Amino acid sequence: MTTLTLLGSRYSQDEAFPFGPMSQFAFRTVPDGRIDVASLRGTVEGSTAEAPLSTASFGLRRAEVEGSMGRMAADPTLLAELVHAREKIRRDLPRLSYVRIVQTNYLLKAGRRVGLRESTVAQWRR
Amino acid sequence: MKWLFAPQPRGRIAALRTIAYLFIPVDVLLTTSWVAKHADVPGSLYRPLYVGRLLHLPAPGPVSVRLVMALLLGCAFAAATGRLPRLLGAAVAVLYAWWMVVAMSYGKVDHDRFAFLVLLAVLPTVGPARQGDGTEDESSGWALRCIQLAVVATYFLAAVAKFRFGGFDWATGATLSRAILRRGTFASRPLLSVRWLLVAMQFAMIGFELASPLLLRGGRVTKRFVLFLYAFHAASFVGIGIVFLPHLVALLAFVPLERGAAIVAARLRPWRRTFGPFAQSPAAVHNRS
Repeated sequence: MTTLTLLGSRYSQDEAFPFGPMSQFAFRTVPDGRIDVASLRGTVEGSTAEAPLSTASFGLRRAEVEGSMGRMAADPTLLAELVHAREKIRRDLPRLSYVRIVQTNYLLKAGRRVGLRESTVAQWRR
Repeated sequence: MKWLFAPQPRGRIAALRTIAYLFIPVDVLLTTSWVAKHADVPGSLYRPLYVGRLLHLPAPGPVSVRLVMALLLGCAFAAATGRLPRLLGAAVAVLYAWWMVVAMSYGKVDHDRFAFLVLLAVLPTVGPARQGDGTEDESSGWALRCIQLAVVATYFLAAVAKFRFGGFDWATGATLSRAILRRGTFASRPLLSVRWLLVAMQFAMIGFELASPLLLRGGRVTKRFVLFLYAFHAASFVGIGIVFLPHLVALLAFVPLERGAAIVAARLRPWRRTFGPFAQSPAAVHNRS
């Protein structure tokens, strides 16, 4: 166990859980770089106003959405599957007609926020 | 080697069992209820861990997730009574590990479970234990030492990971700014404009993580370090809304819980005499006196 834990910390990645490295907050954010935050936004049927959607209502945490974003950009049917999952998880919520994953980049200068940029990574329309 | 088996109080095992096994329903149903939602997430987003691939575990689905959840909750409640500690404890350990595979197989892995998983794995190695029992023995000592080592490893290896992934200049970066921008609260957002303080906090984090083996020293050093760690985790919760609850349960392995249990038992004794299952009638008490 001890050997696996030590080897895991030195050589492996997250998928070696529970013997992987303790890498939460271990990555260095460059003070003159940028910070990326993903979010989900969408419109419900019968409305045109776009509103933020909680990732939890899709059964995922934000970091899990971020981890799968590249695949959803390449294959938007994955986003359709997620909308389907939301309809099962939160039957109480109105059905969605449009969803997009938004990537917000906070631009930093000497560790302080100096600007903001937004882009759509993937989208789905009913 | 002798140090690994140094006797520690049996009563602490009993108290840890009650707390850890009763914490599981809180964890599953309340504080990390998102795990159960993975039941309905499309299988195409499943990214199995090594252990999942090694054991050929199927992608979590509605039936398997609810089954594991029901079994885990049932066994945890039964184990919390202190009965069949080896059998029920082992069942809880296996089921909770499986629950963690469901939790961590969607591209995000948390590191607050390591010491708690070790705790669940070693508790069944000790036989029956009584609340408030101050008697020290080697099997309790070994189990408690394993949990204590896992707690230390969590902190120390977090510092190692910072050097590995972030580099030796991790502390001069903007990791805390990132955390606050992503998950900040009213309490932490003002700190974004005080960069020197955030950098100082990052140095302090690396410092106490590297110093974590001092937890094993015992006496006043351990007591103060444990108090500091609970305060640190409370501050993290206020600042970025993250609290490593399973880890905090494991951290209790350093706390003399058996003394607390003995005090509670002493306070409850008169009540139990009066209202408990073997309560005597007032007349009987009067006649005896």
